[in-house]
Amino acid sequence: MPQQQGYRPFRLLLREAALVAKDHSLLLTLLIAPLLYAFFYGSIYSYKAEEEVPIAVVDEDRTSLSRTLIQQINNTQMVHVTAVTTLEAAKEAMYHGRTQGFLYIQRGMEKKVLSLQQANMVLALNAARFLPSSDVLGAITEVGLTVGAGVRLQYLQKQEGMNTEIAGREVMAVKPDARPLFNNRTDYGTFLLPGLLAMILQQTLLLGLAGGTAAERQRNTFAAWMQAAGNNLSTALWGKGLFYFILFSCYAFFFLTVNFGVLELRLLGNAWELALVTALFLVSLIPMGIFTGLLFRSQLLCTQLLAFSTYPIFLITGYTWPIQQLPDGLKAAGSLLPITPFLSLYQGIVQQGAHITDRLPALYHLCILWCLYTLLCLWSIQKLARKARKTPLPVA
Amino acid sequence: MIRAIFQIALREWKRILTRPDHCLVLLVLPPLLFFFYAYIYDKQQAEDLPVAIWDEDRSPVSRQITFLLEQTPSIRITASVNSQDELEALMQQQQVIGAVHFPRGMERDIKSRHPVKVPIYTNAASLVPGKLINKDASTVIITAAAGVNLQKFMKTGMPAGKAMSLVMPVSMTVYPLYNPTYNYQHYLVPGLITVALQMMIIMVAVLLINMEWKEGSMSELRAMARNHAGVIIAGKTLAHLGVAWVNFVLVAGIIFPFFSLQHPGTTGQLFVLYNLLALACTGIGLMISVLAADVMLALDVGLFYTSPAFVFSGFTFPRWAMPWYDQYYASLMPYTPFLDAFFKVYFMELPLRYAMPEITRLLLFIGCTFFVAVFFLQLKLNKQQTYAATARI
Repeated sequence: MPQQQGYRPFRLLLREAALVAKDHSLLLTLLIAPLLYAFFYGSIYSYKAEEEVPIAVVDEDRTSLSRTLIQQINNTQMVHVTAVTTLEAAKEAMYHGRTQGFLYIQRGMEKKVLSLQQANMVLALNAARFLPSSDVLGAITEVGLTVGAGVRLQYLQKQEGMNTEIAGREVMAVKPDARPLFNNRTDYGTFLLPGLLAMILQQTLLLGLAGGTAAERQRNTFAAWMQAAGNNLSTALWGKGLFYFILFSCYAFFFLTVNFGVLELRLLGNAWELALVTALFLVSLIPMGIFTGLLFRSQLLCTQLLAFSTYPIFLITGYTWPIQQLPDGLKAAGSLLPITPFLSLYQGIVQQGAHITDRLPALYHLCILWCLYTLLCLWSIQKLARKARKTPLPVA
Repeated sequence: MIRAIFQIALREWKRILTRPDHCLVLLVLPPLLFFFYAYIYDKQQAEDLPVAIWDEDRSPVSRQITFLLEQTPSIRITASVNSQDELEALMQQQQVIGAVHFPRGMERDIKSRHPVKVPIYTNAASLVPGKLINKDASTVIITAAAGVNLQKFMKTGMPAGKAMSLVMPVSMTVYPLYNPTYNYQHYLVPGLITVALQMMIIMVAVLLINMEWKEGSMSELRAMARNHAGVIIAGKTLAHLGVAWVNFVLVAGIIFPFFSLQHPGTTGQLFVLYNLLALACTGIGLMISVLAADVMLALDVGLFYTSPAFVFSGFTFPRWAMPWYDQYYASLMPYTPFLDAFFKVYFMELPLRYAMPEITRLLLFIGCTFFVAVFFLQLKLNKQQTYAATARI
């Protein structure tokens, strides 16, 4: 009857809720994992940036200038001088992982500087780890430039007889002025956390939905699913998907309000635009998840293999590594994932205050993927439905 | 007993080769995933990133600095802007990642000895390219500033050496050790591969015992082991250690040489470390598999336990910058000590003795997890035996 037809998606929604409630693996993946992961992963970056990177100093000069230099380095937020020691001990400390490098100040540095000869110091960094080594290098270079400016200031005051104001102008004629936009502290947490939360949303949805769909095949309940949908493919797809759409819309809202609040992240763009983009993302993921699940006859194998998709997917979305730098084959693979255009739109709206209209190609891209996965999913359901019709329903 | 162990190992090898949930994860996925990871960073460094110039000075100096900026590896000038609003709009449209602004009257101010600030704008929401652009642009500006100072001092009749020592009284020689070119492929790929390996081992090991109970094949296994849990665990571990060796050959013998990631002279030491990781992961998987009878639950526990290993290990974001509870959780994963040792042995090419604290921790993981696995499996086997005997009576 036509009235019943209208209720079918809601009946399928209730059916899906009942299936999830009975399956503790799905319960864990869909109800506990998203929240737990969001807080768990989020907490790692709650301090946002690293500070006090340990380094050792080898001071062979032992003069007031070298001591001032060491003190200035230690006063920076980024570097912590753990010991002023010998060259061998500094090397050993780095080898044992207690420090991330060492600064070597040669004997006679102050003497050279006072007699207007260029002195030299050596900074050895453990560049096997990128973040600490680049941060230490930046901080010590800054201190070195300040010390150089101080030496010039004193020279101009003493030798040229300039007053402090004029000498001050002279010492640093041209100076770079770093102005990071959209992440003023250039910290790792502000950069990574929004993308990480989006990734958690996607992976838990895919794991749950694909796992649940694979379970339908494993338990021979596919025909019952079709029957509940009145053998209508679209109803079967969107009736099942409705449960996930509502659940993950709630998670998206929760992440944006609670997690963003706890992690002190800001939404710079328009919340309604973000809601629209997130809804589009979820409706693209739902047919993708069902299509993936239908490829498997075993829930276990589906979950097992999907578990390995998290890192590869995240790395080719262009979030951590510029998409232009990826090989062409991987650019093509990345463009088949709804999260690639979604992250472009999401990052623009959340972190840069952009509007959807600023990134229309990404919006069209997401819409095309939505259509593509819907068609693929419908085709896959149809193929299996034909097969299911040939085999009788199992006795309940 | 040794014969029984080998029989069980042989049986386990057959299971590995015939079961999709073992074979796909342990033998098919590794080559695909490892090549994929290495291929992502095939370009090794991010280069030619789009940058805008905001030139209000339009002087020979600004043109010269623009030319110097173009010569850096990370910067490619692709646009010209006239205001910060225009620049932000271009960033929002993803057309540029950074910009350098030459303020009006820059050349005049330099000549009239007024200090000038050259703003370097970067889209810090894209952290990696933003930092690269800032680093290269700052280097160019600092070099230009040094050139200006040098010219000023030399114009007063100062000798070049003395002028240079005033421009840069203390020069700094930097040695970025173990990855001097900051090559992303060399840095990330070995870490991604090893974390995937530990995940693969655990995700299969969590199914080793409970699947036997579920499929009713435990009786056969128990008979082969003559009711000794230790024999079952040893046989299965031996088989999975063999698979781990196959994957080691794949990584050290094919992937690393193919992508020029190998560090000569480290293979033997890496093999020792890798075996400890493989045993620790197998031990954890077996422990979960013995304790959790439900295979899906065991798989979920394994997934939840292993998937955060990469971020918690401190590979990309240092552990000392994490809250204490996250540092504590990181210490509960075998990948954390393995990674610390891996840095020393593989990247830094140090002797194994530097990795002794980490090796001790891995041995502790192995000892504890295998003990729990054997103990509880023996209890279950004994219970089954008693039940079977009662049923016979």
